[in-house]
Amino acid sequence: MEKPLRVWDPFVRLFHWSLVVGFTANALFDAPGKQTHRYVGYVLMGLIAGRILWGLTGPSHARFASFPPSIGGAMQHLGQIATGRRQRHIGHSPLGALMVYNMLGTLLIIGLTGWMLTTLTFFGVEWVETIHQGLVVWAEICICLHVAAVLFESRRLGVNLPKSMVTGYKTFMPDRVADADHP
Amino acid sequence: MQTTPDKRSLTLTLLVLFQLVCLGFFLTDVVEDMGGSGWAGLWNAHMLPELAAIAGMMLGLAFQGRYLMNLLRRQSHLERGLGVAAGQLALLMEDYFRQWKLTASEQDVATFTIKGYTIAEIAELRGSAEATVKTHLNAIYRKSGVSGRGQLVSILIEDLMRAPLVADAAPISERSAA
Repeated sequence: MEKPLRVWDPFVRLFHWSLVVGFTANALFDAPGKQTHRYVGYVLMGLIAGRILWGLTGPSHARFASFPPSIGGAMQHLGQIATGRRQRHIGHSPLGALMVYNMLGTLLIIGLTGWMLTTLTFFGVEWVETIHQGLVVWAEICICLHVAAVLFESRRLGVNLPKSMVTGYKTFMPDRVADADHP
Repeated sequence: MQTTPDKRSLTLTLLVLFQLVCLGFFLTDVVEDMGGSGWAGLWNAHMLPELAAIAGMMLGLAFQGRYLMNLLRRQSHLERGLGVAAGQLALLMEDYFRQWKLTASEQDVATFTIKGYTIAEIAELRGSAEATVKTHLNAIYRKSGVSGRGQLVSILIEDLMRAPLVADAAPISERSAA
């Protein structure tokens, strides 16, 4: 075992799992139009606003500057997967970074349209509802992709990524002599 | 290290991504439809073609994904510059790698080896331990039936000398025919 590296600060972790709980609650269990649906939505928007501030002021791995959206980086990451090269990413990987921005943007618009539906002007307006529901489906597809990618990358790089989002520490396995291609 | 992304692989990636989203969309649609009528709805005249269409999409996506991986693999070697006749040599190597059934990692290590990198350098480039690279090399030698690095290179050189670089000759099939 190599030394665990401290990567995710408490706010990033709290933010991540709060999104999981809040989004699941609102998308699957809590009927729209209910009070709780609204309050959960407000809390999620508050968390996202906090995350954006944290991305400008927080510790290095939480900062947007440390994971700028980069198409070139993402393609390079794909190339590493294709060739079986295992470059470890201490913070967000290039492909992971794109998912972060995607989810932040998607959830913001879901929140915005959700709030609009509570106003007198937009209550029951069809196109707002369509965007709200459509983006929820989009977010659900992305979450499936995200979970699949986390499992895939954990296995490929020999690091337990879900655990790192709980404890805050990434422990990279020392390179195994037995090859991952021959289990 | 950062290079501008290759247009072809970028386009293909976006296409694959788009289809992945389409697939997700159709899947949720089907699940919703089935949720309405349960498994009995499976025998609905509309349902079976829908499922078949999804299976078709998945198959197409799988093939494109594989093609994309090949493209990315080739590109990540070409961007380091092989010089003249790079394309032909790369094609020849790929033919052999496929024939020997090398894994993605083994192909990468084999390519670096043929280009003359040392084990330490390959380990550095791939972000793995030297022991891992050695394991890959042993697998490459075993699968290709050569005794070492020199022979691995000479197989390619032999083919290159026999066939003109520019012609569309198929060196491997010639070999097996001879």
